[in-house]
Amino acid sequence: MMQRHLILEDGTTFQGMSFGSPATTFGEIIFHTAMTGYQEIITDPIYDGQMIVFATPIVGAAGIHAEAYESVKPTIRGMIVNDLAEVSVNRQRRMNLDRFLKQHNIPGLYQVDTRQLIRHLRETGPQKATIVDYADEHAVDQLVATVLTNKQVQNMATPKPYANPARGRHIVVIDFGLKHGILRMLGDYDANVSVLPYTTSVDEVLTLDPDGIILSTGPGDPRALPESVLTLIRVLQSKVPMLGIGLGHELFALANGAELMPLPSEHHGMNHPIQEIISRQIFYAMQGQGYAVDEKTIDRKKLFVTYRDLVDGAVQGLRHRDFPAFSVQFFPDAAPGPLEATTVFADFFETVEDYVEHYNQQ
Amino acid sequence: MSNTITNNKIKKVLFIGAGANDFGREGEHDAAIFQVMPELRGHGIEIFIIDDNPYALSLESLAATVFWQQLTVDNLKKVVRENNIDTVAPLFGGESSLRLWAEVVQSWAHGDGTVPSTLGLSIDMLLKVNNIPALTAMMADIGLPVINNYVLKAQDEANELLRELHLPLMVRALHPNQTNTRQIVERLDDFEDAINLAKTQSVTQEVIISRAINGLKEVSIEILRDVRGNKMQIGASEDMDPIGIHTADSLSVSPILTIQDQLIGRMRDYAFRIADMLQLKGVMHVQFAVDDDTHTIYVIKVSPYIDQMATRMSLATGYPTMLVAINLAIGVPLEEIVLPHDFGKHVAMMEPMMDHVVVKLPVFPFGELEAAGVHVNRQLNSVQKSVGSTLGLGRTFIEALEKAIRSAHFNNASFSPTNMKHINDDELIQQLIHPQDNRVLLLIEAIKRGYEIDELAELTAIDEFYFYQLKYLHQLESEIEANIDNIDALRLGKKYGLSDGLIARFWHTDFNIIRTLAKENGINVTYKSVEPSAGEFPENARQYYATYESENESVQISDNTVLVIGSGAFRMGDAAAGGYATTVVMSELRRLQYPTIIMNNNPSDATLLPHLADKQYLEPLEVSDVMKVVELEKPKVIVIPGNRRKLINALRDLNQNVVILPKTKHIPGGPNENQSEFALNIFYDGQQAYPINLTQHMAGEMRVIPQVAHIPDTIVSTNFEAPGVYQVIYYQSIVHWVDRMDLSNMGYDSWIRPMPFGQVAYLSKAMQTQWLRLTIRAAMDDLTSRDIELLQTINERPIVYPYSMIAADINYRLHLQPHEVIDGTRFEMGVGVKDYG
Amino acid sequence: MIMTNKEVLDNASLQRALTRITYEIIERNKGGQDLVLVGIKTRGEFLAHRVADRLEQLEDVNIPVMAIDVTNYRDDVLNRDDNLGLNDEEKTNIANKNIVLIDDVLFTGRTIRAALDALIHIGRPSTIALAVLVDRGHRELPIRADFVGKNIPTAQNEKIKVLVQEIDGRDAVEIVH
Repeated sequence: MMQRHLILEDGTTFQGMSFGSPATTFGEIIFHTAMTGYQEIITDPIYDGQMIVFATPIVGAAGIHAEAYESVKPTIRGMIVNDLAEVSVNRQRRMNLDRFLKQHNIPGLYQVDTRQLIRHLRETGPQKATIVDYADEHAVDQLVATVLTNKQVQNMATPKPYANPARGRHIVVIDFGLKHGILRMLGDYDANVSVLPYTTSVDEVLTLDPDGIILSTGPGDPRALPESVLTLIRVLQSKVPMLGIGLGHELFALANGAELMPLPSEHHGMNHPIQEIISRQIFYAMQGQGYAVDEKTIDRKKLFVTYRDLVDGAVQGLRHRDFPAFSVQFFPDAAPGPLEATTVFADFFETVEDYVEHYNQQ
Repeated sequence: MSNTITNNKIKKVLFIGAGANDFGREGEHDAAIFQVMPELRGHGIEIFIIDDNPYALSLESLAATVFWQQLTVDNLKKVVRENNIDTVAPLFGGESSLRLWAEVVQSWAHGDGTVPSTLGLSIDMLLKVNNIPALTAMMADIGLPVINNYVLKAQDEANELLRELHLPLMVRALHPNQTNTRQIVERLDDFEDAINLAKTQSVTQEVIISRAINGLKEVSIEILRDVRGNKMQIGASEDMDPIGIHTADSLSVSPILTIQDQLIGRMRDYAFRIADMLQLKGVMHVQFAVDDDTHTIYVIKVSPYIDQMATRMSLATGYPTMLVAINLAIGVPLEEIVLPHDFGKHVAMMEPMMDHVVVKLPVFPFGELEAAGVHVNRQLNSVQKSVGSTLGLGRTFIEALEKAIRSAHFNNASFSPTNMKHINDDELIQQLIHPQDNRVLLLIEAIKRGYEIDELAELTAIDEFYFYQLKYLHQLESEIEANIDNIDALRLGKKYGLSDGLIARFWHTDFNIIRTLAKENGINVTYKSVEPSAGEFPENARQYYATYESENESVQISDNTVLVIGSGAFRMGDAAAGGYATTVVMSELRRLQYPTIIMNNNPSDATLLPHLADKQYLEPLEVSDVMKVVELEKPKVIVIPGNRRKLINALRDLNQNVVILPKTKHIPGGPNENQSEFALNIFYDGQQAYPINLTQHMAGEMRVIPQVAHIPDTIVSTNFEAPGVYQVIYYQSIVHWVDRMDLSNMGYDSWIRPMPFGQVAYLSKAMQTQWLRLTIRAAMDDLTSRDIELLQTINERPIVYPYSMIAADINYRLHLQPHEVIDGTRFEMGVGVKDYG
Repeated sequence: MIMTNKEVLDNASLQRALTRITYEIIERNKGGQDLVLVGIKTRGEFLAHRVADRLEQLEDVNIPVMAIDVTNYRDDVLNRDDNLGLNDEEKTNIANKNIVLIDDVLFTGRTIRAALDALIHIGRPSTIALAVLVDRGHRELPIRADFVGKNIPTAQNEKIKVLVQEIDGRDAVEIVH
């Protein structure tokens, strides 16, 4: 294992030992406080192009499992941890973290004072960073000169429609960089799923006669997406029950006239209390967000706020006043994260059932 | 919402203490009650506490009206009636209080008036929690994965069952009278004995049999629930040792490392559903058995009350569990809990995250017993054998493990890398399969001898992760051993938590040399705070642990600091009295307004309660660990229990100002069956000795002799080492209680020793005189003229409580299977009191 | 015969059902103006308050809640009594309002019909919608709920028991066989 360096755009450097790929890497660095679910996190498309610092002290001890992929191919740019656990590769554990990252050409760094790094990042917010062999001026120049892409959704979302057939309700998923957890949850409800690219048209969606529509999670800034997406949402929300998740929630807000604001320090973790405003119930869910809906910009005649993060007050859910359309900022698919948030899917399917019944009666 | 209950009815709350210390009852309940009573008083509620344990701090709390009485149904009823108690809080006293309160409720008669309500749990659920088959059936009803229980009365019924279920089986008592032992029966031959033992432990002579699940992973989840049904997880740990070894005897690790998120999520969900089922308002510990391969989970134990997991998780994460728990119990919703200002704003509602590893290591009594010639069964099984535990905190598993080991043993001598060399291969394999207290050393030895990790994992049912870690530790130690004076090796060793002392052993030198070498090469300790946001938010942390990284977060708090060195884990012969003594001393130092710092590693005593010190170091107490804190904090005074000779000398050598809390190094002897131990008790204030009184101690019981004591001339000239309570001891062949002693009899056979902390605690309560507070005041030169007046007349004052201190009824036979009788007064674990007046 | 109770809706699901009903009421009563919730005693009244609490949490509005007792207003009851338990002020407040009638269980439809008759008789509301926590089928009249918490198909001889915190100590729905 060789010593390598992490350089942040503000000039701060950290030393650590290399694991995974030995490549030089650039990306936006963020920190994650979840103590479990590292495999799901590093394979979640929302982290496309980012380097993730884990607060949890040891990463890798639970191995790599077939049922814990959130995408087939991870596209994070780096993984920075305090201690890396070695585990063998055997019948139960066919893969370990080190090998997994090597296979996907993702560099890792361990034996880093991640607590110091996180305490630093919580003050500066996310910034550009690089993992290199030598922390010299050249490396810093390279980092400064690097322009990070804002085309993450284009990179991650499916360009072609595909189906995941089953015998239940027909759900159309508009894909902005979908994570497997959403499909897994739809599978639990035996939903007949069609995944469509976000460039799809209203007609293409309605021709499929969906019982419900999901706006998927995805990476990056939703404002980088074309206006046509917002038009699509505006038309569909008035016709079919709709659920937006993560980036899909942000798009739902934009489509209804609200604006986004960047969070001072990004929030990635699963320990913030989230309150369902209508019932005052508190629960916990996986959250990963750099933006939040700016509450001041919400048109109260169109939307109301349904969930709120009790720590920073950030809007965590919206609902349309006139249509069975709603959205959540947090990830209700529990992959990883607390199971209690999965009731959002139950709400969605009950809404779908109601819609179908009323439709039949009319 | 409509189900919000603002409870205005609660006016008078009675806490039920946990009673005498015992296996699995080390003082965590007393610490919890001691902490929450003032908080509850802050809500305008009048507080009462009943307990019989002389070591109970809560009996000395100014927040409550105190009843120092035996914990019986009658006494409880009487206190409730005479004080118009409307609410009883048994959940903080743990399982035994809960059981006692259930008995009171069940025996409540018409003439007794209204049954007080139970804080946190309805009466109906309280009774269910005490009835394992009923609880299990309830859980099965709502679809939770439980293991079926069969309740039997007769042996032939049991034999019938044996034909249906396969071995191994678990055998327990239904309606246990005191201890409830989980016995695992693996061989047909043991079946009958197990049934018989369980029967004797059952009030109704009924036995519960269920399928045993040996070899699965044991996981603990700690959660809480509020009046609105909001639930959150406040801690989790996995045992390195599989099911089949009592969780208290297992090495436990937090956070959970080797289990996937999805399985943890399921366990969390099950725990939440149980809390809803019980309509709990408070904290709960749920234990699970987990099979990683098949993703099977079983609920194995539900504890909706304070236990060691609750206190341990609170220390491990920095989450203020007890303060939150008492708010929940009186119906304050999670969202509305207001914590003292030094906790972050949203702390109560945020699930605590950890960026460090905490290893809990059990402390066994075998060493002390064998030194005294008592042979016991050292094999670990489903019956608890450990008497205490220590925590090690680090950034890696190895660092945390090394520190836990060092904490458990004060030094590394008993964990020398060469200790296991003598064991032959057959014995090694036997012990791998049937583990003993030296388990960790044995595992390392097996790795040294080249056993494959797959093979070891198979034999021991321990996750491979741990073997990789131990293998790395072995490599590390070999590297250090092979590279004497190599700075890189030293750096690595320090990073992974090896003490200066241990590295010194490898390099055949002294720890001071290592300390200097590290310093000269910029290998410096960094302290990290223990706070529940894992770095996400700025913290007002008070708790710190040492590691070797780049950023240090701890700064010197004042130039007038008193550093208190705790007494570490509970061990045989010391029991909870050590924790009691340290806590009282800290409390007094705070009262005298000294900035106070505590160093300790015992998760079960009150010394690490958040409000008792300005800062806490959760650290081992070896000389070099203490020295590093001393260098940073530059304390004005260091308070140390007198048995830590090596530490005291080392600190004095370095010109530190040491205050000794008088204590002998070894377990004090006691009278045998044919004699009495007499003691003339004396307080020494640093200049003068004052007679206190005389006590008589027969095996199992101790009383105060109602006589004015004087100090004979021969003793006045004696040098006492430090201010404190001492006793002149001598034996006589008397086996009845006396009410006069002829002091002139005190002849050649007498000697002086510091009074054991246990007796100090008892005398403080019986006399209503705070001897440890006086001790520390004297040591700090803070005695008042009133103190002196008191001391001058103390020998003429009769005791306030005519109670004798008695050895608690502890089932040594069950826990330790000793070959000889264990004398409860000598190897005391817990004591009670008896009213003889 | 031993009676057994089977929980068909637990506390959490019951809360979610009420939440969904509330959202749907908002959706269909654009703006929520002139809304009055009328609970049918006993349990319908508590459920009406739950919905009102939710509306208050969400919109910070106080929607009037009334309770009516129709046990003596049913067409299968002799000696009908027209007193619904409403006072005069409440009676006048019904006029020209959008009423959401709330009951725990929709079964034959006779209770609802009685409530409809009574409300129309005394107050001339502008609209009446029906919300029920449980629709168990077996209708004897052409009545259908606008908002349904949960459809639970039942046998004629089974009983549906809705438990509410205020009376029963907990929220749940059980089938009694």
